[in-house]
Parts: sequence; structure tokens; C-alpha cells
Amino acid sequence: MTESRFTFPQWTNLALPAAIVIGMTAPLYMAIVVAYGFSPQATDVGYMPEQPIPFSHQMHAGELGLDCRYCHNTVEYTQHAAIPPTETCMNCHAQIHPQSDKIQPLFESYETGMPIEWVRVHDLPQYSYFNHSAHVTRGVSCVSCHGRVDTMEVVYQHEPLSMGWCLECHRDPDPHIRNPDLVTQLEWGLDMSAAERLENSALWRTHNDLQPSEDCSTCHR
Amino acid sequence: MTNLIKQIIDDLLKPFLADFKEMPLWIKWGAVVMTSIAFMILAFVFRARSEGVYNDKPRIHFIQNMDNQPKFVSQEANAMFNDGRGMRPKVEGTVARNEMTGDTHFFMGIVDEAWATTFPDQITVDRPLLDRGQGRFNIFCSPCHGAGGFGDGVIHHRAQRLVETGVNGTTWVAPKNLHEDMIAAQPVGQIFNTITNGIRTMAAHGSQIPVADRWAIVAYIEALQLSQNADASTVPNADSLPRVDEGSNK
Repeated sequence: MTESRFTFPQWTNLALPAAIVIGMTAPLYMAIVVAYGFSPQATDVGYMPEQPIPFSHQMHAGELGLDCRYCHNTVEYTQHAAIPPTETCMNCHAQIHPQSDKIQPLFESYETGMPIEWVRVHDLPQYSYFNHSAHVTRGVSCVSCHGRVDTMEVVYQHEPLSMGWCLECHRDPDPHIRNPDLVTQLEWGLDMSAAERLENSALWRTHNDLQPSEDCSTCHR
Repeated sequence: MTNLIKQIIDDLLKPFLADFKEMPLWIKWGAVVMTSIAFMILAFVFRARSEGVYNDKPRIHFIQNMDNQPKFVSQEANAMFNDGRGMRPKVEGTVARNEMTGDTHFFMGIVDEAWATTFPDQITVDRPLLDRGQGRFNIFCSPCHGAGGFGDGVIHHRAQRLVETGVNGTTWVAPKNLHEDMIAAQPVGQIFNTITNGIRTMAAHGSQIPVADRWAIVAYIEALQLSQNADASTVPNADSLPRVDEGSNK
């Protein structure tokens, strides 16, 4: 019993080749998973939270053609494009569809003064500074960052809103510049050829002397 | 050549297979499971990146990087207050900066306790103001009053359809035609007040539209009204313009 010595079984010969194969593929695999799986394209794009009221932008902004700024009226003056207060909804809904089950939370909010708890869809990291008014008044359309909200039954995040994505436009803003009066017309420019579109953009860029900054402190202040 | 292949099979593959055969079953199954999981993660990543895939679960940020900081940003919820608002409503009876209403002409459209008939000093009625007014009118007024101010906006049409079909208790009072004599005769201060505080079924829009923009809208409404009551004598150089022969059109 004492003289029986431990010997590695024969199959452990495979340990070395297996270690080599795993050692070579695992880092590559991890790199792929982190690069593709941790990016906002995977984690954030397509985020479509359920809202307390099934508000349809497709109906209000698309079919009825209400201007984005009727409700998000602070977008031209302030950093934050405000979610409208209950009061704004009541401008119309005091009379239209008042007995609809779907909008009862609206009336509840109006009577009690408690805010409707809308779920934020587009949420930038809090170490980055973004100003809506700086973009909208210079001719960057809502559609550039939010997609065709006027066709969305339920709003979802359309763009990654990552730093690389921001810089892409700050380095070459031309595809995203238009007449500042037309920023809320989301379908504008779709019937133009790419060349026409760029020509128009360049015109407005020169006209408004736009030189988007790439300094760190522009967004991280 | 065949010798070489035979040699490779004899020297490498056969011992490998012999070793593999000896390997305990749990290691083999473990390898299969691990490989499957690795591919499942890849498939999950691929799905998350695909177009047209939506997710209503809260977002996961693997690397937090101070994405969320212990501070309250605009319109964020704050459980500390009864109403849950992080942004605090104005305390009753206080006046915020730039909201000083002592200047009743500019802020209320009232001069000497009567509707102002002129624009306040802060407002210069010129082309840029009218352009601004047109833009603002199209955003805030045209949904009900229509782009021309005839009370035929898209909301009006929709509400009428809903009333006809009796959906969800919709009631509707047609928006005013801004070219009616009664409204055309109103002084600018009264129109300003109507925009600010609303009237009858029209809601107050004062909180939505800054003061100067409300005056711009008033100026544009005046221009709209003027356009409907214009005659040839108000058109400069009217004689030099081409005229339509009214008889030949029929």
C-alpha cells in the first residue's frame, strides 16, 4: 500500500495541447464578447421601456403632424428637452378621449398633482454634458439622434449615443446639418439624393459658421 | 507520401485517440457544455445588436464608469419628497427671476387697467418678429386654429370625427376663426392675454411659450387678420401688378 506511487493517468497527456488551444482562443473570444457585447449598440440600442400611458408618437407627431416643440417646448432654450407636464396633455385631452381607459393616469395626475412617471428612454452618462438647444438651433435635426420618432408607436432608442458616435458627427457634421427652421421635420431630406443633401448641409454649415468642437472639456466639464 | 500520412496517423492521431478514450466522461461533457455556453453568449450578443430587436428591461451597463452619480438631473424622481419630484415646484407667492410682472404691459397685455392697444416697448414689430411669430403660430396655434387661422386645424378635424363616432366621451367646441369680426376687433393685449391664460375651452399656453414669443404670435395674428381684410388700395404699386380678368375664368 505504501509503495503505490501516484502516476498521472494517460489521458493527462492531452492537458498541454488543450491548454494551448484554450489559451489561444479564449482571449480572442473575450475580446469579441467585450467589444461587441459591452458596446451601447448591444446594451442600449433598441431599449423600448413600457410607459405608464401608451402614448403614440406615431399618432401625435406622425399622423396629426404636431410639431415636436408643442410638447417638448424647452428644447430650443435649455439643455434638457423636457417631458411635457400633465397640463400640456390636458390642453387637448380635457375634451378629446376623456373617458379612454388608457389615459386615466393622466386625469389622476391632473387631479392629484402627482407627476406621471414616464420612463426615460435616452439616458446619457452623467459625466457627459449635452445641450439640446445648442444642437437644435444650429440645424441638427431631432432625427439625427432620435430616429424617426414620428413613425414609432412606442419610442425606443435608435442610436448608440456613445462617445464615438458623438465624435463621428462632431468631426464630420455635414450629413446632419440643415436649415434650423426645419429641424423638427423628421422626414425632410429623404427625397433628396445624397449629393444634394450634402450640398444643402454644407450651405447651412457655412451660413451659420458651424465648427463643432472636439475638445474634451466641451462634453466633460 | 502515403508513408508520411501513415506515419502521422500512427505517431500522432492514434496516441491522441487512445489518450482521449481514457479521459473521464465528466471532463468530456464539461467541455461540450462550456463550448455550448460560449456559443450561446455569442448568439445572445448577435441578437442584442440586431436591428428590430427591442427590449423593455432596464439597460445593463457592465462598466459603470460613474454613469449614474448621486445627484438629481432634470425631471428625475426623488423619493425624499411626497410628490416624488426631484425638481421642486415654485413656492406659491414667489416670483422667479425674469418673471417680474410689475410691467403689466409686457407681461399681461394690460395698460391702465385696460387691454393694451399697442405692442410693449420690449417688442419691435419688424420682419424677423413676424417670421418668429409665424413659426411659433405654426407650432402652438395651427393644430387647432389652422395655418391660416380659420379654425380648421388638424386637431379640430380629428375631434369632429371622434364626436361623430362618439368615442370615449369626446366633446368639442370648434376653435375660433381668428378672422371673425369679434376677434379681429380685439386689441393686441387681449389676444396676448388669451394666449397666456386661455379662454373658454382653450387652455392656457403661457407656461409653454415665453413672453416675447407670445407677442410675436400676436403680431403674426394681426398680420394674418390684415391679410384677409386687404383691398387693392393697401397693396403698394397695385396698378403695376397683372390682373386676372374675372369674366374669362368661367
